[in-house]
Amino acid sequence: MSLAPLLTRGMAPFALPAALGLLALLASLPARNFLEASMARHMLVQYPLLMLGGALLAVGLSAALAKLTPASPMPVSSWNAHGMTGLFGTALALAVLMIPRVLDLALVQPWVEFAKMAALVVCGAAICQSWRPAGWLVQGFFLGQVLPMMAVAGTLYESSPTRVCNAYLLDDQVLLGQLLVWIAVAIALAWLAALFQNMIKKSAEPAV
Amino acid sequence: MLKTAFASASLAVAAYSCAAWLTHDFQVWTAEGARRLEVALLPVPTPAIQVQGSSGPPQPLRQMLADGQTVTIVDFIYTRCQTVCLALGSTYQQMQASLQSDRVTGAAQSRVQLMSLSFDSQRDDQQALTDYAARMNADAAIWRLVRVSERKDLERLLADFQVVVVASSQGDFEHNAALLVVDTQGRLVRIFDYADHQLALDYSRYLAAAGSP
Repeated sequence: MSLAPLLTRGMAPFALPAALGLLALLASLPARNFLEASMARHMLVQYPLLMLGGALLAVGLSAALAKLTPASPMPVSSWNAHGMTGLFGTALALAVLMIPRVLDLALVQPWVEFAKMAALVVCGAAICQSWRPAGWLVQGFFLGQVLPMMAVAGTLYESSPTRVCNAYLLDDQVLLGQLLVWIAVAIALAWLAALFQNMIKKSAEPAV
Repeated sequence: MLKTAFASASLAVAAYSCAAWLTHDFQVWTAEGARRLEVALLPVPTPAIQVQGSSGPPQPLRQMLADGQTVTIVDFIYTRCQTVCLALGSTYQQMQASLQSDRVTGAAQSRVQLMSLSFDSQRDDQQALTDYAARMNADAAIWRLVRVSERKDLERLLADFQVVVVASSQGDFEHNAALLVVDTQGRLVRIFDYADHQLALDYSRYLAAAGSP
């Protein structure tokens, strides 16, 4: 938690070009063909990279905006109190994007592909803008919704005897399912570790 | 806070609409489920393409299927398939046996035919189809085997019938194999699992009987 703001502050001048470069690369046909050739890469590499692009875009844009209007330190938008709109919207979007039909449709319907990519970019930006204002409580609520959903979807993918996507092979689907569960567990552990670290720091403070 | 609540509620409504559209009002979750539902709701006409039997020149697939009397159960195959397809081949043999006994009684419902359509145009030439027919004891009067020679035609057919073929390891293919019921007008009207072959057969018999005068 303490490292992230430092990193983003140092990165701010490079964030916008990095975001545009990354998103242009991800939108290119060779990158899409490569990432979407496998179900696991589609959901576990392309999805997070698009969100990373969105997050970088948000960092870059808000830095540029702050430079244009240096007088007002960006207030938490009244439309996104405690980052709730951003995180709630992200949870909803991820739930929709994990429906197996999306993966198949994105391969054959250009507008679904575009909507999917745009939604993920917006999700990344929304998390970036909402994570710190959210605080531990809203963060916990968000993760408590998204991570079990990931784990359940992963278990379903892993245990389904039939292919849920026509375009992907069964062993690819099993791999995706297992990885989804493990990633959900890893994110939960990382967040809990950060939470405990913060609590220990807080409880140590009054003694000093 | 009111604005945030309003924004969140709007997002919830938007997400619900997206999910409802994607899943046909929460009935299907996969592309295959959606395909079957869509076909049942809105029949898909056979595209105007040429196919080739195990002998003879190419002929239009639509004319073969839409003779006004015959209901055809179509499946997509490739003859080299050694795993699942053997089981599927025996499904077709069982269906062929019951259709043969239909022929003996001579009822209107006897106007049901089987067709196996190879999507592996490169390797499945006419000789391969002939060999496959011999291996499966295909009765030429009931079970026709065809291949699509033109690549463009094949792509058109797979797209219209939403058949997705994925190359897997060792030169095999994975595909959304199913029984496709094509009515007397040459329209794809229903898709069944191989496991429901009895249902597919009964449904086709019913269609054939209903279509006859």
